[in-house]
Amino acid sequence: MIRILYVVYGAAVLLGLGVAQYQGWSLATVNEVKNVPRSVRDNPGSYRSVYGAYHHYTGGK
Amino acid sequence: MNAGGTTPPARPQVRALNCPHCGAALTLRSFNNAVTVVCESCHSILDAKDPNLQILQQFKASVDEKPLIPLGSRGKIRGTDYEVIGFQRRTIHVDGEPYSWHEYVLFNPYKGFRYLTEYNGHWNDVGILKALPETVPNASPPKVKYLGETYRHFQTAKAGTSFVLGEFPWQVRVGEAEVVTDYVSPPRVLSSEQTGHGITWSMGEYLSGKDIWRAFHLPGNPPEPVGVYENQPSPLSSDTMSIWVAFAGFALAIVVMMIAFDMTASKREIFNGYYKFDSNARGDASFVTEEFELSGHSSNVEVNTSTDLNNRWMYLNYALINEETGQAFDFSREVSYYHGYDSDGAWSEGNANDSVAVPKVPPGRYYLRVEPEGDPGYGVTYYTINLKRDVPQYSLYALAFGVLLLPAILLTWRTLSFEHMRWSESDHPPISLNTGDDE
Repeated sequence: MIRILYVVYGAAVLLGLGVAQYQGWSLATVNEVKNVPRSVRDNPGSYRSVYGAYHHYTGGK
Repeated sequence: MNAGGTTPPARPQVRALNCPHCGAALTLRSFNNAVTVVCESCHSILDAKDPNLQILQQFKASVDEKPLIPLGSRGKIRGTDYEVIGFQRRTIHVDGEPYSWHEYVLFNPYKGFRYLTEYNGHWNDVGILKALPETVPNASPPKVKYLGETYRHFQTAKAGTSFVLGEFPWQVRVGEAEVVTDYVSPPRVLSSEQTGHGITWSMGEYLSGKDIWRAFHLPGNPPEPVGVYENQPSPLSSDTMSIWVAFAGFALAIVVMMIAFDMTASKREIFNGYYKFDSNARGDASFVTEEFELSGHSSNVEVNTSTDLNNRWMYLNYALINEETGQAFDFSREVSYYHGYDSDGAWSEGNANDSVAVPKVPPGRYYLRVEPEGDPGYGVTYYTINLKRDVPQYSLYALAFGVLLLPAILLTWRTLSFEHMRWSESDHPPISLNTGDDE
């Protein structure tokens, strides 16, 4: 029973992997924004990125 | 258990007698095959071969044991009808702790004697061996072979008889003790009992309490098994092996998929730009790229950023914007690269290059809005932005591999835990992984 469940589970994982690769999924964090005004094309500074206020790492030892 | 010699089949017959000590009625169910019979009333052990039923021993039971299968019960074991004619409790002492189990003597006039043992809800169907097992030379722990199967030594202990009831095909005595050695190969166990007369070998096969209850038509439910018994078959061991076989198949399928997607993915370059960012410059650093076309079905866009950063960081706010629909994929990347020397030697941290895949981007005309940031005082950073369409993501293969591996590992861990519990009760306990102070 466990073996059958695992085979079904594994087949579902492989199917999901195939769909994910075909549709171009990735593990990256991306925020989708709708209806960005066309004016951004001419005035890039008018766009407010959701990541604009991110606390920046200043790295190094 | 002791050896029970089997005499030629006798006609099934019940013989009625009286105890010479208390006068209570006795029943001899195995007729001439009984060597001793125990009076249920006064616990006198009587010589069943003696016409006067000579008293061999009298014992006082500290606890009046009631057999779970009453004497006289009849049931079918492996296709043969047997009657329960005797019952005894035997006890071993390990580290001063007594451990007791029960043995039932079964009798069929044509097949002879058979035995059932019960310990903490674990049952075994036991028969006397007609051939001797072979000792495996130089095996540690000791092993024996019987009918091509190897049995591993589990435990050797001195087992004493602490309570008896009914009939026995041997001279039973309360207080007598024999050296009992068990070798296991689940679901079977080989047991040797060393008495003054020699060694008797028997083979037991694990049975569930439900099977016993069904066989003897007993009311209610059998007691739930407690812990793991020495020859209890692992409920998962066969599944574990087959799941690893299935996992190997899936892993191979992942490799095939990886090759297939890698060969068929377009990995087409759709944009490449070279830029300069001056962190000292005043004003807005954001800009947009020229438009580019994303064709085909929805797929990812890989954004590669290559910089000349050296002990500096750079932060890039990206927005991949569809010019026609206004849909944007907003993301940010921090690129930093530091290196140097300290008391431990050379060190480095981060990478001057970065790559990220924007998932599921529909086809259309797009441009990229870029807003670079950096510490004022860093000065000029040169960087390249390169975009590629439909790039296979190896992280997804790794994720699928892990998701498939996890159940196999969990099942293996449970199987090993089961075996660990089994062998922790043996003379060869596994080395505990717990190194903490248990006291």
